[in-house]
Amino acid sequence: MGLLFTICGLAASGKGISGKHFMSPPDQTITGRITDAASGNPLAGATIAVKNTKRTTSSAADGSFSISVPDDKAVLVISFVGYTGLQVALGGKTVVDIKMEAVASDLQQVVVVGYGTQNKKDITGAVKSLKAESFNRGIINSPEQLLQGKVAGVNVTSASGEPGGAQAITIRGPGGVRTGNTPLFVVDGVALDNSSTGGGGNPLNFINPQDIESIDVLKDASASAIYGTRGANGVILITTKRGKAGTSVMSYSGSLGVSNLARKIPVFSTADYKAQVVKAGGVLDDKGGSTDWQKEITRTAITQTHNLTLSGGANKLTYYASFGMQKQQGIIKFNDFNRYTGRFNVTQRFLEDRLTVEANLTATSTNGTRPPIQDVIGNALSNNPTYPARDASGNPAQYQNITNPLQSFTLDKEITKINRVLGNITGTLKLTKDLNYKMNFGVDYSTGTRDVQALPSLIPQRDGRLETYYTTNRNMLIENYLTYAHIFGDHNINALAGYSYQKTFLQGRNYSINKFPIGPVEPQYNPSYGQELTLVNNAPGGYAQTNELQSFFGRINYQYKNKYLATVNFRADGSTRFGGNNKYGYFPSFSLGWKITEEAFMKNSIFTNLKLRAGWGQTGNQEIPNKITQASYSSAVSAANSYPLSATGSYPAGLIYTRLANPDLQWEVSTQTNVGLDFGLLNGRLNGSIDVFNKNTNNILLYIPTADPIQPTDKFWSNLKEMNVNNKGLEIDLEYRSNKDKAFYYSIGGNLTFISNKVTNSPLTIIPSGSAQGSGLTSATVNGYINNQPIGTFFLKEWTGFDANGISTFRDIDKDGIVTDKDRITAGTALPNKLYSLNGSVGYKGFDLVVNFNGISGNKIYDNTANAYFYKLKISKGVNVTPEAVAYPNESVSNSAPVSTRYLKSGAYFRLNNVALGYNLNPSKLGVGRWVTALRLSLTAQNLFVITKYNGYDPEVNSDRAIENALSYGIDYLNYPKARSFIFGLNVSF
Amino acid sequence: MAATSSCTKLNEQVQDEILTTTGLTDKQIADGLIAPVYARLPDIFLHTNYFTLQEISTDEAILPYRGGTDWGDNGIYLNMHKHETISSDVNVKNTWTLITQVISRSVTAITSLKDNKDPSAPLYIAEARAMRAYYNMMSLDLFGIAFVKEDANAFSKIVRGTEAVEYIKNELLAVEPILDNTTGPGRLTKAGVWGLLARLYLNAAVYRDPYAASFTFAPGDMDKVIEYSDKIISSNQFALSADYFAIFGNVNHDNKELIFAVDQRSDLNGHNRMAYFSLSGDQYPLPAFPAANGTDGPAITPDFYASWTAANGATDPAAADPRFYKQNISIYTNPGDSCVTDFNVDRGILRGQQYGLLRVAGAFVKCSNGNFKVGKLFNLSRSNPNLPVDFTLAVDFSVVGSNYSTGYRVEKYEFSRASASGRNFGQADIIILRLADIYLMRAEAKLRKGDAAGALTDVNTVRTSRTAYAVKGTALPSITLDLLFRERGFELYWEMVRRTDMIRFGKYEGTWTEKSNTDKNKRVFPIPQTAIDGASNLPDFLKQNPGY
Repeated sequence: MGLLFTICGLAASGKGISGKHFMSPPDQTITGRITDAASGNPLAGATIAVKNTKRTTSSAADGSFSISVPDDKAVLVISFVGYTGLQVALGGKTVVDIKMEAVASDLQQVVVVGYGTQNKKDITGAVKSLKAESFNRGIINSPEQLLQGKVAGVNVTSASGEPGGAQAITIRGPGGVRTGNTPLFVVDGVALDNSSTGGGGNPLNFINPQDIESIDVLKDASASAIYGTRGANGVILITTKRGKAGTSVMSYSGSLGVSNLARKIPVFSTADYKAQVVKAGGVLDDKGGSTDWQKEITRTAITQTHNLTLSGGANKLTYYASFGMQKQQGIIKFNDFNRYTGRFNVTQRFLEDRLTVEANLTATSTNGTRPPIQDVIGNALSNNPTYPARDASGNPAQYQNITNPLQSFTLDKEITKINRVLGNITGTLKLTKDLNYKMNFGVDYSTGTRDVQALPSLIPQRDGRLETYYTTNRNMLIENYLTYAHIFGDHNINALAGYSYQKTFLQGRNYSINKFPIGPVEPQYNPSYGQELTLVNNAPGGYAQTNELQSFFGRINYQYKNKYLATVNFRADGSTRFGGNNKYGYFPSFSLGWKITEEAFMKNSIFTNLKLRAGWGQTGNQEIPNKITQASYSSAVSAANSYPLSATGSYPAGLIYTRLANPDLQWEVSTQTNVGLDFGLLNGRLNGSIDVFNKNTNNILLYIPTADPIQPTDKFWSNLKEMNVNNKGLEIDLEYRSNKDKAFYYSIGGNLTFISNKVTNSPLTIIPSGSAQGSGLTSATVNGYINNQPIGTFFLKEWTGFDANGISTFRDIDKDGIVTDKDRITAGTALPNKLYSLNGSVGYKGFDLVVNFNGISGNKIYDNTANAYFYKLKISKGVNVTPEAVAYPNESVSNSAPVSTRYLKSGAYFRLNNVALGYNLNPSKLGVGRWVTALRLSLTAQNLFVITKYNGYDPEVNSDRAIENALSYGIDYLNYPKARSFIFGLNVSF
Repeated sequence: MAATSSCTKLNEQVQDEILTTTGLTDKQIADGLIAPVYARLPDIFLHTNYFTLQEISTDEAILPYRGGTDWGDNGIYLNMHKHETISSDVNVKNTWTLITQVISRSVTAITSLKDNKDPSAPLYIAEARAMRAYYNMMSLDLFGIAFVKEDANAFSKIVRGTEAVEYIKNELLAVEPILDNTTGPGRLTKAGVWGLLARLYLNAAVYRDPYAASFTFAPGDMDKVIEYSDKIISSNQFALSADYFAIFGNVNHDNKELIFAVDQRSDLNGHNRMAYFSLSGDQYPLPAFPAANGTDGPAITPDFYASWTAANGATDPAAADPRFYKQNISIYTNPGDSCVTDFNVDRGILRGQQYGLLRVAGAFVKCSNGNFKVGKLFNLSRSNPNLPVDFTLAVDFSVVGSNYSTGYRVEKYEFSRASASGRNFGQADIIILRLADIYLMRAEAKLRKGDAAGALTDVNTVRTSRTAYAVKGTALPSITLDLLFRERGFELYWEMVRRTDMIRFGKYEGTWTEKSNTDKNKRVFPIPQTAIDGASNLPDFLKQNPGY
């Protein structure tokens, strides 16, 4: 940050000097000093004007000023950005001491936008900036969790309670059908590639949340168009902490968290189970035990974090270094996730501050171990509770007809190790007073190894197998750009023009080997003990891809009289992923702002800030799969491609087309209009904004059936120009802050999003997604992309109750006498139409308390877990169920459970996401003031409660059940349960 | 710094796929082009694909929602049996996708092999054309349409009825002289083409007008059936197998009865689905693999069983017809024989209490002498330890009729000895054409022309040829079309010709267990909705079949 402001600052002070120089002869000289009312610190650069004259000056570094006034009745008008303006009647005084009250609003807050920063008051797009103090508290694995509920229009679904598990995040609704609705993440100027770094976890786990200074969310196209083909899903800019000159701080923070299963699925207890089996006409198989299988697989999990930071610097050099570790246990046994991070950020100035070099480097190692989670949960939910979990000698008991999940713990595991290094260096060279050249070079490199290990065993008889998956990701970025800032009288211009080149390389390979001897050596440590390699079972796999993105971009910010704002963004993106006929995409955006409070007629209004913004822009989504523009042959000896041509001898490698060429393929285009109003009231204590947006994504890229069925592949990739996905909505942010300088202070805030989504002009009757799981449910689909319906629409047979025999009945929509797939109805969507959150904080002396609530409504969940596990027939067969399964006395025990609206449930929830109570001790009073500058204790509760009608583990669900790349939404199938955690924390600064 | 950021042309560099055939010899390319033409045959002949369409839709097979937990699959197997299949049925779609894909692969092979210098290229082109005709015949039979496509870059011409029959016939005739007679049964030979021509002419009346109230079998067509059957029979290249179940054994590739078959190899492409899916989930046919079991899939309908009892009167079918059953586990007839070192599972139609390897906690129980213990089986894997694996005659879609052990099961193909899980590593070739079918086709043509005596001779040739077992086939005293239809069921049950036979014999609109639909439109399957959607921008190019 800072560069553009340096220029602005120079320009401003220049103006002040010249004003002084041309002053008319003094009648009376007034001197004084301007200070911050709260801190007493001097305020440099405040404007002092004499009312009804053209005389102005500005305060010096020590806050002092001197100005001449015509007479005793003169009135000084003092103004300064971020402070409440003052009028001081002199009444004969020649020396005045002026204290200015800071405006409570964050108007002078600096917001990170693409390729630079801007003052919040000058922003014309829909941008939300979040500083570290506003982040969610608790055990945090990835940056998305910091944001959940914090920004209107941003929907974060923490679907899995698994440490390090994937997070789904969308900004202003999903725009496409396939994967790739994730926003672009930019860390300290390096645009990340969202590809998996190996394993199933979140690739952003590598960022230590404690290193993050701020997160800025570019929501509308006028803000994100500077990122061209990657801006369609919004952009999230992460800025890490930097040192401050003149300080030298070492601080330690540590925490100890205790997590437990937040809520169980209420399967029958042993006593109820016994009664229900008999009641359902089943044969009770009572092994005499009483096992709470969910308790058997879960535990009180301990999480500890340690973080040491060193920061500070002198005039020319500042640094920030941190070393962090987080050792986290999952609430399911044998599930651990450990992260070790190191960061070093340094800034140095040279050549009389004409050259600034910043370097950022972070290295992370994550290490995760997981049991076969779905199997373990499925067995724990359905196993007969009368079966003892352990045998007489304490080992997992062996059964013929059920799988003891404790045995899965000992036999199966997955170990994922990922090392990731992200570094970049930027140089900023001041060419002239107004012109800067900036270069940014960054590399993001990660390697991952995932071992899937199945130990051999006698009972159950298994040969054992080891699968190993290796991944390598490399992302290299180089950018050169010029910035220009100049003020011509009432015209203030900021401009940017640049070139960017980014190259990513992704590689994956996998190998396996079977048949291990039973013994103490785990296959992961020595695969050579494997005794069997066959092409059918152990064919290795792999992929590699290189993508290049070459871009030219520019921006002009223009301000007239500091009232009227205009921004134009432009980017031309060329990608190797696009077809030969469409190599470059062009993405413009325009936006306007009007600072109404700067108008004369608003001088005495109740508003401290009122700004109207409007923008329009186009962005793209280049997250299309690789190689799809090019035809491909495959040459492989595989079952589907080869065939014996003679009785003996080797099999030929079959040559087949695996893909058709389509040189016209290109990005999806999102066109967004946004109108917003920012306002501040009550002397800047109440701030808020309202945004209305309309986002249309078309040119949708789909893998669609070929018109001629006789094609080498039955489907091919095509852009559907006419198909459209619309997201429109209204976002409201509001926050009230009391005066923080008082002993007692508080704040209350929140946001509310109304959003609706609709698919139109799809040439396909339905694009099915969300394949149901579980025995008997094969081939049934749950979601569909259907014209005039939102994405994530559930397309199901409508369950209407039972017939006289207690067998389920479904509505026969087409009245043809039979219930088929043709009778499916659109039964709601998995996308919420309302998202809201409520945040509050209270402080009194050393104490502070922060609460964060968030919720969504209007969405539905398909409870595939209940569909596959909890129906009456199951209990009659001795399989444990929840009371939901026997809720209908007239239901026959023989009734089957096909996919239908019967298992569609409301997904609305309201959660107390986190509460944190902190106490800052006074080191001096403790007698350690000489060494310790700050000492803080905190207690945080995470996921304290959730109010929902949903009766699964948690209403935040998102089992990935995509069909041929078409994303599914809102399906719960044996999702990892959520934890409730209590975290004790300690921060010490030296 | 600036030097590293010079502009790029943005040509995609493909690192993990071979996009061209550069570097391969003509022989490698020729082999590489013809192999894919055949390569999807195991997938087409999968239990959920062609088998489901050709058998579950008939009286030979029924697949209820087993115990309310298995084979529910959104009702597709119930609908298939009830003739209520709809255009989004995944099995129909998968079968369609495979057939259209292999037609395309044939087109690719035909066009790409033209410039190939390898000596085998002309033969491969002929085979690819013959296979394209065969796949089109399949498509015509299932979906009522065939695709004419010579140029890979041009749109297909969709043909129906007589035009389709003529197209397929002309293609087969064009390449017949070029084909070899030594490359079978895994590849299409001269004799294979003769068999396909016989089958085409036999069904031509149906293919020309699939929705006709009744079919008129032109004498000219029947003469052609006889002509091509004669060619095969008189070639003396093929022989009826004395051991009936050897035709479906793991080492059937050299069985002289096979004319054209899916060449399955356990180390490449073999699946064991034909042998695996009808068996009980508690039947473990291989002592070597304690994880290889069945699935409690389809059973025969009681109606089909009734045709066996009707034919054999008081004699149990197992004692009357060698094709019905072959015992391999001796405990059935010798209860003392409960400790064995090895065995093969019984073959044919399995009825009543099943015996087999006893499995506890994932391992087979051994006798004190170390041999495998064989005993009565129970539905342990279904958490029904008290329900014996006792296959009952009754099977239907009622709750009782859908239980795990209802219905007589079929184990016609041998359970692959290489199959660790039961699913894969198949060894047996799957029959497309065999000599008995040729005899029965010739008999039918003779009968439809009025030559009952000639027909009876052919039928009895087949019936009396199965002499390897204690139970031997006997000759029939007379023949009618109904008896011939029944005879085709006895000989060819579960060989994926039943639906075609039922339509040709006018029986597809009949009534049997859980099936009462008489809609003639259901003779032909729906074109998958996805294909209709994909062609929606070309009006009239791909029209849905009537009734869907």
